[in-house]
Amino acid sequence: MEDKKDLSLNIMSEANAAVPKEPVQNAEAKSTAITAGVEEVKSQEIFSEFREHSVAEFFKKNRQMLGFSGKVRSLTTLVHEYVTNSLDACEEAKILPNIYVKIDTLPDGHLRLYVEDNGPGIPKQFIGKALGQMLAGTKFHRFVQQRGQQGIGAAGCTMYAQITTGKPVHVRSSTGDNNIYECDIAVDLKTNSPKISNMVEYTGKYRGLTVIGEFGEVKYDKSEYSPFEYLKATALANPHAQITMVEPNGERTVFQRAHSEVPDRPKPAQPHPLGVTTDDLINYSHHSKERKLSSFLTTNFARVSDAKIEELKKLCPSINFDKMPRELKWEEAEALVNAFKQIKWIAPSADPLRPIGKEQIEKALKNVLQPEFISVSERSPKVFRGGVPFLVEVGIAYKGKAGRQKADGTVGLDVKRFANRAPLLFDAGGCATMEAVKTIDWGRYGLKDIENMPVTLFMNLVSVHVPYTSAGKQAISPEEEIVEEFRYAIMEVARDLDRYISGKIRDEQREARKKAILRYVKQLASDLPYLAGEKTPEELEKKLIQIIESKYSKIFEKGRLSQDEEKKIKKDIENAAEDLEE
Amino acid sequence: MARKKDVSKELIEKSVEKSNSPLTKEDLLVKQKLEELGKNLIKEIEQGQSPQFETVLRARSNILHGEEGYLYLGDKKEKRVFLNVAQAKKFMQTVAVAAKCKKFKEENLHTSIRGLFYQLKFTLGEDIDEELFEEQSESNELVEDLEVALNLKREDLNLSTDRKGVVAGNLILKDKFGGEEIEIDCTKQGRSGWMIPSDVDNGMEFIDVDVDYVLVIEKDALWQRLNEDKFWKKENCLIITPKGQASRGCRRLIRKLADRGLPIYCFMDCDAWGWYIYWTIKTGSMNLAYLGKNIATPEAKFIGVTMSDIERYDFLKKLTINAKEVDIKRAEELLSYPWINKYEDWVKELKTVLDTKKKIEQDALQGPRLTFVGEYLREKIEKKLFLH
Repeated sequence: MEDKKDLSLNIMSEANAAVPKEPVQNAEAKSTAITAGVEEVKSQEIFSEFREHSVAEFFKKNRQMLGFSGKVRSLTTLVHEYVTNSLDACEEAKILPNIYVKIDTLPDGHLRLYVEDNGPGIPKQFIGKALGQMLAGTKFHRFVQQRGQQGIGAAGCTMYAQITTGKPVHVRSSTGDNNIYECDIAVDLKTNSPKISNMVEYTGKYRGLTVIGEFGEVKYDKSEYSPFEYLKATALANPHAQITMVEPNGERTVFQRAHSEVPDRPKPAQPHPLGVTTDDLINYSHHSKERKLSSFLTTNFARVSDAKIEELKKLCPSINFDKMPRELKWEEAEALVNAFKQIKWIAPSADPLRPIGKEQIEKALKNVLQPEFISVSERSPKVFRGGVPFLVEVGIAYKGKAGRQKADGTVGLDVKRFANRAPLLFDAGGCATMEAVKTIDWGRYGLKDIENMPVTLFMNLVSVHVPYTSAGKQAISPEEEIVEEFRYAIMEVARDLDRYISGKIRDEQREARKKAILRYVKQLASDLPYLAGEKTPEELEKKLIQIIESKYSKIFEKGRLSQDEEKKIKKDIENAAEDLEE
Repeated sequence: MARKKDVSKELIEKSVEKSNSPLTKEDLLVKQKLEELGKNLIKEIEQGQSPQFETVLRARSNILHGEEGYLYLGDKKEKRVFLNVAQAKKFMQTVAVAAKCKKFKEENLHTSIRGLFYQLKFTLGEDIDEELFEEQSESNELVEDLEVALNLKREDLNLSTDRKGVVAGNLILKDKFGGEEIEIDCTKQGRSGWMIPSDVDNGMEFIDVDVDYVLVIEKDALWQRLNEDKFWKKENCLIITPKGQASRGCRRLIRKLADRGLPIYCFMDCDAWGWYIYWTIKTGSMNLAYLGKNIATPEAKFIGVTMSDIERYDFLKKLTINAKEVDIKRAEELLSYPWINKYEDWVKELKTVLDTKKKIEQDALQGPRLTFVGEYLREKIEKKLFLH
């Protein structure tokens, strides 16, 4: 942020994207994935419009785009910012997260939000930047799949507190060295710099970060958009986290850790030209230390070779590739992004993708929903927009606590959407996930009435570049490849559920048949020895029961079918058909 | 197979020797068949399979008729399987029936299928709210299954049916029954005649049958008329009345008499019932097709009353009655059966019925004088005025 002049120019994309998520001692490791941000045209308008405005002005005018629209949603956004920061920080530090969230109603109608974690904590000298400066410490040399791709960051929350209550946020932190400090933090809205006050230090046993803030224009309820649902969803996608929530009425819910292994740290990777938007390019170029535009491109982006620079030069003859990267103009950036799309690239590496994993999703679903049946898809990485790698993970849970309580009290299909483990609660309508759900022919899987079934669909998009539909970052753009991949994954798990339900029905039928036949065993076993003049009723009864038990044995155990069992089912269906004929 | 036979022979000889049983060899063979059924079922159970036995399909699709002129079952088989929800109960019941029949056999006692039903009507167990048999109709079908599967008649299983039918004439039989052996002379049965038992095979033996033909008369009234006339004595024939539809025993007796080369003449009403009774005697019925030629007498001839009698005997014209719907329907039905419409004389007869819509009862022949019935029969038999 050496160059303040560039700040306003950067606001848009950065505000949308990540702001410092992690403790600043990890500043190198921390930051910041690129973002799709807004549609390009829109971005351009905003850029020119707000060029001269301060960060605070920008924030005030654009809060709805940043997740602060509606009182319920605003509260959820606040919880989201703090909790994702905690999760990301713990992940970086290889700590199993324990997160405590408490919401209190204050007499003046404001809400107090208390979020405490057991993360690495933030060293005192960095706390101001982390919570009191927008867009601080931005570096663009990493291309990492992280939760914190969205929202406005903790400093944004601080600003929201200031704007709605005029109060700073209170912070307590320690890196675990027995030194704990507490202070109040605000953002100086004119200079975009942190204002720290009431600093106290003392010794004690604590490691982590606690943030306490008072917020206005927020409301607590337990709707599907509430912090409660948000945390429940977060627990689903982060089975390694233990999350405790205390609601304003004192009700306490613990989302238990289902799995005690911290996910691998995502590997950084350079952005691929095909995943870059115009404002990303502007952002990167303005922070580059390279002297030439050409070397900026080859060093900061994957798969950009000197030969590709030559191709770009031909496609964009008006651009001077020898000029300073920071002199790149919007129009030029736009032309470059268009040129990227005309060139054949080697696909980016799928290595940085870190899916939650089939086993972990199963554990999480089991832990949170206690369903009767679970199936999780296993798909390999694909690319969209011609080169951006992604992977979808879809889980289905049936019965137990699965499904969504509807207004009329019945339970129906619940779709839990995630992007890189971060729950998406809003703007479901245009989301790639819903697009996929809507276009499935559920009848083919015996799930025609899915809307009224106790089913939860867990859908996670894993990508270093999640294409959001808007700055609110609550919906995944329905890219054809992504929707198609989600469809395949849904079909995979739907097929499993179908098999389970029909298998269960068959099992019930088999059980009924078995019982019907067992009724007559005793009589048959007592008549036969007399008729034949050999054997005893006891011998025959035992043997007959064995035969019946084996023919009508359970085909479904623990919600899973082995291949052998599947073969058996097939045979059983044939037998049943024969029985019918007879 | 050979070994099996030896063993069974041995078994029979042994048991005859040991118990000095009153059972005949035939009885022991039946008992052995029952035991074999049981042994086969046990073998399957030992091999871990569902016990099952085969029986011949008794559905319409497997009822055949051929040149010989009777109904019989084809080769289509069906399985009775215990491990099949739809069949388990019936299977268990069939085995229960078979076991009971073995017991009757050993005790050398007979009972009706109703008696069998009561022997088997008990609860399946304290914890099962179900009886082995609830209705007699359940057991009837199973008895047939056993008959077919073992290739036996129910009479062989000591199951008797209702007696019906009376005989008079020069027939002498030996009846071994209840440990006694008596001779029956059907010329010495007075006004009542000898009542045909349900089983004319087991423990029944013809000693002398010195007659020229057998006359089967539908109605008891007409039989009594002819008996009073000593028609059987004058004509040297047997007169039998099934008293309506012929019982199994009656049909079996007719078959056995035909086996001795005796002509069988049937004298029936010219109406739905009369035809039906006649055809049941001649070809057997679809219900009992599984007994095939054992219960059918294709050689039987129909004396009357026929539609052409109306022309021949003027007085009958005034004694016809209008055919009812059931008669017309029956006539149409008979015309549709290939084992009937292959006889041209019958086609003509039934078509006349359909045309004139008339019928005549055999009683009408008493119109001129009571003894005319005899005269009528004599003339017809002499001139061989029969329908097939």
